[in-house]
Amino acid sequence: MEYAIEVHGLTKKFGNFKAVDNLNLKVKRGEIFGLLGPNGAGKTTTIRMICGLMNQTEGSIKVYGYKIPEERKEAIKIIGYMAQRFSLYEDLTVYENMEFFGRLYGINGINLRERIIELLNFLELNEFKDRLAGKLSGGMRQRLALGVALLHKPKLLILDEPTAGVDPPIRRAFWGYLRGLNKEDVTILITTHYMDEAENCDRIGLMNRGRLIAIGSPRELKRMAFGGDLVEIKVQGRIDELKDFRILEKKVDGENCSLKILLSDASLELPKLLKYMDGAGLKILCAETINVTLEEVFIRMVMES
Amino acid sequence: MKLLAIVLKELRQLRRDTRSLVMIAMIPLIVMLLFGIGYSRESGRVGIGIVNLDDKPISWIFIDSIKKVQTLEIKAYGKSIEEGRRMVEEGNVYAVIIVPSGFTEGLLKGSSVQVLVIVDESITTISSVIRSAMFAVTYKFQEEIARNNKSEFIELIYNSVYGPKVTNLESFTPLVIGIVLQLVPTTLISIAICKEKERGTFEQLIMSPVSRFDIIFGKLIAFFITTLVDMFATLGIAVLLFNVNIKGQMLDAIMVSTVFLLGSLGLGMLISVLSRNQLQANQAAIFIFIPALLFSGALVPIDMLSPSARIIADFTPMYYFISAFRNIMLKGLSLWELSQQLSALTIYATLMMLTALIVLRLRVD
Repeated sequence: MEYAIEVHGLTKKFGNFKAVDNLNLKVKRGEIFGLLGPNGAGKTTTIRMICGLMNQTEGSIKVYGYKIPEERKEAIKIIGYMAQRFSLYEDLTVYENMEFFGRLYGINGINLRERIIELLNFLELNEFKDRLAGKLSGGMRQRLALGVALLHKPKLLILDEPTAGVDPPIRRAFWGYLRGLNKEDVTILITTHYMDEAENCDRIGLMNRGRLIAIGSPRELKRMAFGGDLVEIKVQGRIDELKDFRILEKKVDGENCSLKILLSDASLELPKLLKYMDGAGLKILCAETINVTLEEVFIRMVMES
Repeated sequence: MKLLAIVLKELRQLRRDTRSLVMIAMIPLIVMLLFGIGYSRESGRVGIGIVNLDDKPISWIFIDSIKKVQTLEIKAYGKSIEEGRRMVEEGNVYAVIIVPSGFTEGLLKGSSVQVLVIVDESITTISSVIRSAMFAVTYKFQEEIARNNKSEFIELIYNSVYGPKVTNLESFTPLVIGIVLQLVPTTLISIAICKEKERGTFEQLIMSPVSRFDIIFGKLIAFFITTLVDMFATLGIAVLLFNVNIKGQMLDAIMVSTVFLLGSLGLGMLISVLSRNQLQANQAAIFIFIPALLFSGALVPIDMLSPSARIIADFTPMYYFISAFRNIMLKGLSLWELSQQLSALTIYATLMMLTALIVLRLRVD
């Protein structure tokens, strides 16, 4: 039982519409797993089914070994959840919100007070503890929601688009908290439609139209999409063919020649390539790996699928 | 402990919610004050007109006795039947009494005479006041004539039970308390669950290990504490400010009001569980209130309506409440003698709460 989440053949139908279609997914304990996809891809529906907030039409879900929805009662004790929409009480203060949810988790008295203060300090919310949640800024709301999700020290944190509509610096800071938690062995399942943000994940599942079209680390996904790593090399002189390497693109600029070459693993093959070129008498002006964005990967994968 | 957490949270939210506070504090106060001021003094005299075509001593004596009736007020005098009819048609008066020529002469000769009453029937309460007043006046007048002629007559002697006289204010008190105790708690609590769904807080709530029981009864307890204030305010205003006399035990009146209040809260909670949003819930609460009022037996006694009204009334909690409250207040009965009403109200409250509990799903859709 090494998985935090195991999902098999998960399907959710709304009438004739399949919001989630035969989804298979395994999230390892201790990793940060991101579900990436455009709005309407089925990310929220998937997350809601994993949390038992919605019953699946077909398929099985296990969270830390607990079957969902049958053993939901046990499962939610180890899940910390942050919904897409701000879903705390706007007419209660920061402290009152945390106190209320803390009591629902069965934490009381001095333990509760200490836990809340600990979290308020961690999330830098202490000076706002008596402010009504409705009067908080977007970033502060997001931190408060994270605080509530962490009250009972969950093993698994499930976050549904936590950074939607938040400024980039605040998003970066939020990821700082998440990495901190992850170091303390909290497994994190997060959805986002910000492709740049997904680079922070250990592994990513790409979702489109209810289907999971690819799973892997950001680097693996990039290789998958293009069949390897792209490198760009500028040389002096003419070159038409390379023995062991595939040239994707060639631009001639006077005496110089700019090449885009596909390598299955740049870290191993780039030195070999350079050595070979050197041996062939080409003068290398510059060599760099092309940083493919996940967005490009996503578009390519969607087109292929 | 979780239950208590919900009670505290709800009370905190209610305290900060202006709309609810206004509803809790102002509605019972305003309704009771308007009612007390408007219904307490019965100056309510019905305006009538007189056409005396006889214009001789006995007809004027007859008209004098009409003047003395407390519920009638002579507002105009006419000269012909047509003029009298026009006065009623134009709405200047509700009725015109036409004493025909030869009235005095006929009575002196010992023959029968007729008095024509032209009545506006559009408002039944008023026309029935006129009918009964005219009936009483004529009866009294005939009694006088019979006494003078030393002939025989039947004298009616009224002997009231639960009297001597029930004032307007007192006879409407059970209805007004019933209205406040149904409308305010039901409307107030009807948004309790669907507001959380609408705002998205329900999603976070049910991700915590909270049970349906905690949610339903935590909220019920909080709203019960709040609306109990209303109940005591309404009863207090009636008794202390308007001197409404409760013949039975005050404690019995409080008991039956409390059970009815719980039923209203249960109904509101069920509405809340079934509604998609706050607007729908509010509409449902008001919609259900209308038949409750119609078949409460306070506007028109149920016995005077069709047999099917009886059946509907049997399923109307307000009917049982008003019947029980009226019996305690005006007749001085005790709760033991009202076990039928009390058990109906208890069953209703329990049924509503349990149904709400069963119907609530800890899911989002």
